[in-house]
Amino acid sequence: MSELLSAIEVSGLSKRYGKLLAVDNIDFHVKDGEIFGFMGPNGAGKTTTVMMLTSFLEPTAGTIRIHDYDLSVKSLEARATMGIVPEESNIYTELTALDNLLFAGKIYRMSRKARKRRAEELLEVFGLSDRANVKTQEFSKGMRRRLTVAMALIHEPKLLFLDEPISGLDVQSTRYIKKLVHDLNTSGVTIFLTTHQIEVANELCNRVAIINQGRIATIGTPDELKANIESVQTVAVTFDTPEGNNVPSLDGLKGVNHEIKSGNGRRLYTDSPADVIPAVIDFAREHGLRITSLNTLGPSLEDVFLKITGQEVGTITTSPGGEGKRGKGGMRK
Amino acid sequence: MIGNLGQIWAITTKDLRTYYFNPPMIMFGLAMPVLLFFSFSMRRAGMSRQMGIMHLMSMILFFTASTAGPVILILERRTRTLDRLMTAPLSMGSLLFGKMLVGVLFAVSVTLVPLIVGLTIFHIEIQNPALLLGAIILSAMSFSALGIWFGSFPARSVGAVMMPSTLLRWPLLFVSGIFIPLERMPVWARTIARISPLTYAHDAVTHAVSGSGFQSATLDMLLLPVFMILFLFLAVRLYRRVRKLGY
Repeated sequence: MSELLSAIEVSGLSKRYGKLLAVDNIDFHVKDGEIFGFMGPNGAGKTTTVMMLTSFLEPTAGTIRIHDYDLSVKSLEARATMGIVPEESNIYTELTALDNLLFAGKIYRMSRKARKRRAEELLEVFGLSDRANVKTQEFSKGMRRRLTVAMALIHEPKLLFLDEPISGLDVQSTRYIKKLVHDLNTSGVTIFLTTHQIEVANELCNRVAIINQGRIATIGTPDELKANIESVQTVAVTFDTPEGNNVPSLDGLKGVNHEIKSGNGRRLYTDSPADVIPAVIDFAREHGLRITSLNTLGPSLEDVFLKITGQEVGTITTSPGGEGKRGKGGMRK
Repeated sequence: MIGNLGQIWAITTKDLRTYYFNPPMIMFGLAMPVLLFFSFSMRRAGMSRQMGIMHLMSMILFFTASTAGPVILILERRTRTLDRLMTAPLSMGSLLFGKMLVGVLFAVSVTLVPLIVGLTIFHIEIQNPALLLGAIILSAMSFSALGIWFGSFPARSVGAVMMPSTLLRWPLLFVSGIFIPLERMPVWARTIARISPLTYAHDAVTHAVSGSGFQSATLDMLLLPVFMILFLFLAVRLYRRVRKLGY
């Protein structure tokens, strides 16, 4: 019965490129109607998995079922239920926005009347009506992104693959796409979201899977994942100084394992906030600094990601006057 | 494929608007026959006007139909618009047939230029107009499918495909009876000519225009679609490989 409620069922999925095992026997399912986040460091097997789910790449082993269609047997039927938004906007720049949408409708076998109605509707929803008959080579990156999403939605798919939907977009377009994802999901569309932006996953996703070295390292709701690494706790402190960069390092304070700098603030990783808080207060007094905020925080989804992918906070360093730098980890050869 | 006719036609018309109705392509389509016409002077070596037009039509068909396919496929691969088509509910065979069809329309349109010039200015006579029409269409289909096959090799730069395809196409031009009649060729060259679709295309056009040829016109007309199917089959096989290995 549970299979009937799954938009995606993946079982024993592997992909090998010569000697490299890019995806190693993974299993997971995406429930119908949820927003499912798929995250992982570069080279972890994330793109390969998505390419297999969208039928672009054949698996070496395993099965994929999309809305109960076995992708290796009923590929065309499965594809008809999907909309795909790749990371790179792939519109036809020689065509107008309207013609791009109408073409997408034809490819998905929509009737002339249906595709015209839907194209006009989507142009309106995506704020492109006034540019409907303009060749898209004149479009900004945000407009191209919106049109790419609109093209993926022309046939009213039940499942939408979104690959880095807000990468490189301005604040306005980012908000727009986030709201759209939320609204689409509310209307019943299942969303498979691939992103590097952990806060986006935290904000939008019902469940998140993290793939690392070709295997699913963890899967669950953002809260469940955070609960699993509760040992990671932090103390966030902000100092009132116009020269925030000149605040000395707090890394040597009692109980502080690691320090991340952020503007005038510091995030201090610790096993014992009770030791760190008085130490920070003493530190501020000693250096003549005024504390404007001091909070203890539980682990963030970013902490979960870093811990699971091997890019632990131990690889993060701070340099005087510079941003916190994260060591490169989790890459797979 | 029959069930996909609407999608095939959508790809064909989209490609026409996107890639063919632009200045470089129109220039190529117009310049090609004119340049060939002057470089391949009909009066040279005592060639008749009728024969000159026949040779010109075969060459134009061959080059225009087989050139655009690889360029378009590689451009679409680079802009990732091909990914959109490859993940749509459409078989690879239908997708490539749509791409092939646009090359056919382009090649047939351009080939009409020397034909109209031949009919109106040089007053050449066509012995079998129906055969000529069929020969032009079937030849364009087999040459366009050849171009699609070239374009299906998993390359991302146009040069990576155009260089080997040009190296293969030019020798075919010399062994297909256009420059040297097949009956005057050595046996080894005639053997190679047998595997060139241009041989059958040129022979069919020759039959239609002059009323006689090197071999049976029926055989020519039967083999041209066989070449088309073979090239499309090989192209689909290459894309199956792409689906296994990625590109």
